[in-house]
Amino acid sequence: MKEDFAAHPTLTLTLGHLYPDQLNLYGDRGNILTLRQRCLRRGIELRVVGLGIGDALAPDEYDMLFIGGGQDKEQAPVAQDLYDVKGIGLWAAIEDDMPMLAVCGGYQLLAHYYRPASGPDMRGLGVFDAWTIHKGSHVPRCIGDVAISWNGGTLVGFENHGGRTYLGTAKPLGKVLKGHGNNSEDHTEGAFYRNAYGTYLHGSLLPKNPHFADHLIGLALQRSLRVGTAFGGTPGDHEGRSYISEGDDTIVAATGERTNGSTPSAVVDREPSAMLTPLDDRLEWEAHASLLERLGLYSAATAALHTHGAKL
Amino acid sequence: MRKKRSSPKAMRIPGRKSGTTRPQPAAEGLDTNSQRTTKHRRSSLRAGLAVVGGRAAGALSRRLHLGGGTSIVGLVAQRLYPGIVGHLATQLEYGSVLVTGTNGKTTTSGFIAAILSDAGLRVWRNREGSNLMRGVASSLVIRALPNGHLRRAGRAISIFEVDEAVVPQAVQTIPPRVAVFTNLFRDQLDRYGEVDSVAARWQRAVGLLPTSTTLVLNADDPTTANLGELFTGKVLYFGIDDPSFDLTAQRVSSERHQAIDTRTCPQCGSDYTYDLRFYSHMGHYYCTNCGRRRPQVDIRAVQVQSDSFDRLRISVATSTQQREVVIPLPGLYNIYNALAAIAAAQALQIDWNPIASGIEQFKPIFGRGERIQVEGRTIRLLLAKNPTGFNEVLRTLFSDETPRHVLFILNDNTADGRDISWIWVVDFERAVGQTAALSVAGTRALDLALRLKYAGFAERDMTIIPPTPLRAMRREAVLNERSKRVAKADQVRPAVLTDKEQEPGMKAMQRYGIAEALDVAIDKTPIGETLFVVPTYTGLLEVHRELERRGLTPHYWEGRDR
Repeated sequence: MKEDFAAHPTLTLTLGHLYPDQLNLYGDRGNILTLRQRCLRRGIELRVVGLGIGDALAPDEYDMLFIGGGQDKEQAPVAQDLYDVKGIGLWAAIEDDMPMLAVCGGYQLLAHYYRPASGPDMRGLGVFDAWTIHKGSHVPRCIGDVAISWNGGTLVGFENHGGRTYLGTAKPLGKVLKGHGNNSEDHTEGAFYRNAYGTYLHGSLLPKNPHFADHLIGLALQRSLRVGTAFGGTPGDHEGRSYISEGDDTIVAATGERTNGSTPSAVVDREPSAMLTPLDDRLEWEAHASLLERLGLYSAATAALHTHGAKL
Repeated sequence: MRKKRSSPKAMRIPGRKSGTTRPQPAAEGLDTNSQRTTKHRRSSLRAGLAVVGGRAAGALSRRLHLGGGTSIVGLVAQRLYPGIVGHLATQLEYGSVLVTGTNGKTTTSGFIAAILSDAGLRVWRNREGSNLMRGVASSLVIRALPNGHLRRAGRAISIFEVDEAVVPQAVQTIPPRVAVFTNLFRDQLDRYGEVDSVAARWQRAVGLLPTSTTLVLNADDPTTANLGELFTGKVLYFGIDDPSFDLTAQRVSSERHQAIDTRTCPQCGSDYTYDLRFYSHMGHYYCTNCGRRRPQVDIRAVQVQSDSFDRLRISVATSTQQREVVIPLPGLYNIYNALAAIAAAQALQIDWNPIASGIEQFKPIFGRGERIQVEGRTIRLLLAKNPTGFNEVLRTLFSDETPRHVLFILNDNTADGRDISWIWVVDFERAVGQTAALSVAGTRALDLALRLKYAGFAERDMTIIPPTPLRAMRREAVLNERSKRVAKADQVRPAVLTDKEQEPGMKAMQRYGIAEALDVAIDKTPIGETLFVVPTYTGLLEVHRELERRGLTPHYWEGRDR
């Protein structure tokens, strides 16, 4: 059944991958691969469109955005282009609840500014009310495995950043359980605004955190059903699709009339990934739990396996 | 007591030596400076102390099985006398060759060593991959006498394999006669930082070299080749000129993922264009904007023929001649390694015969394709420590549609790099459907299994052998068992006991650790077939230790003259 859907995807989501050539440090590929495969297993095709320097960002062409991290040398021209060419489109997309994942350098560029150890500040988009300061090479980089709390569970990954990020009014993605996080001072890690998530976690982030991957896919799907991009602009023909688990009311609510422009409450209240068919994620959760155990977080590991792994 | 060949007063800096004729006997003139002699005597004393201390520590570490005992020797000796490396290295009659780069250091210096031995020189190396400065110190200290003199320094040349991050320190301590830079790829970002920062260190190192040094550079790697422009001394470039290796000319689709670590011209910042691209960023590149291009190549592989899996026949052209060389190792990267060695030998004005024989009779070393017979199967160890290295190993294994038996080992110890995200840029997709048996082990076995799952391998086709069971799973098994038992009887035994008893309860078939991983992988390989073990660096050490424990390989620490 699943295979049938994989062979003939009936639904398409489009992921805009920002600066795939410049911001391509290890592991970004793992995130894209994970999103694509987890969509495909539910009969959803994920198209990935690269957005390089000079390319405009038309928000209505995408369902999801991703921006990774890069070397310092590559980051400066990207920062300029992000601000000058893509800024308005990106802002519009984020204000319209488009899910976005920004990792490492990309996360820094979505805050107000990045202040290098020497040289001028790099201006960011200010999506997150936060800023990053590199205090110079005498201050050790934040390197190592990291685990944070998120949404009642955990996220695990690897961090490697020289800059320290400080949050203004931006809400953190999670609380650091083990590792450095934003600045290794205040136990915060990452930031989020609407459906845009910034984080230092890579390693890659999404393969070992399938609940977070599904959360992003769920958000994208929810939004596309509301906006109507997923069916090529013709919402309506969606009966009996098995990519959506139980609860037809959600779909109806989501794809039905956008009454008075307000978002149907059914969509807001439920965890967006709940509308996706569960996959066999035992390996994912074992990897997740094993990293937690390596960090000495044994009860978190048990909890992760219990809530996710053991269920299957 | 062994007779000293070289007088302690014969302090010479090899890098300053001219030409390759045997140098004249020690300049006795130095002797007259009595002040200097006293100072020298004092440093000899310290050096002697450092030698004794270091070697004692090494012997102790080996006895206690704390490790190979190779690094500790240098560590202790350097603690006791920081100038020990310079003190000893300057006593070598033929000076030193420095080899550095991300991939291929060990094999390249192995080729150079084989060539120079065949040319009749006494070759010293820092081996076993302990290639930080400490390893360099070790290799000298284990050959020194307690009075601070090197044993048998006559007709001796040393080959130092130096970690790419410590090149500036290395060239300052030991100005080399020949400095070989093989290539620069991304490797262990957490340890070395980004490619650009390594490139900057190399540029600094080249600035520190005396002009009498000959620089040997890979012309096909833009960053490495670029170093030649900063150097006023002699530069020899090596490269491949056989267009059949171009990626686009191969059967595999050109959209295959490649980990490209250098893409822009350092002069104007625009992207390089490639006439030929062999792998990653290696090839014939040029900049359409400013016209910068691959330099004129001195040692070229003009034609490559593959006789068998690990026998490559290459035609090597220099400005004066064209000769054939047989490389007894698989993979395109070993052609580069051989070319680098040939160029280094040419820089030392070695004849062609030892060059050809040294390379052809080269025995693969420590994880670079060595062959071990186990229970009727052949095990071959292929070290893969970074994306480009891993991609090239995969290309070598999975290019002729022969189904292979493979054991991957992924560790994240310090020497491997703690960050394993690089596995996501390795092209495991190319191996899908081409493995007859696939086992996954190491401290990050689960991460690698996950990577393979997302590459398209079915979970049921993989055997995962993590180092230890998850505690959480054990606890779950214990809890299940306990609740059963409580229902059965009124007596509850302490959890500690049940914990141990119930360990195998949940996953009876699950196995753990490198030793078991080897057993599983060997079991899955039919008799007469070959098992390819592809480990990261510390995984390789573990496999070696295990094979050694089974009496299958010789001890690999050798600390003795050959």
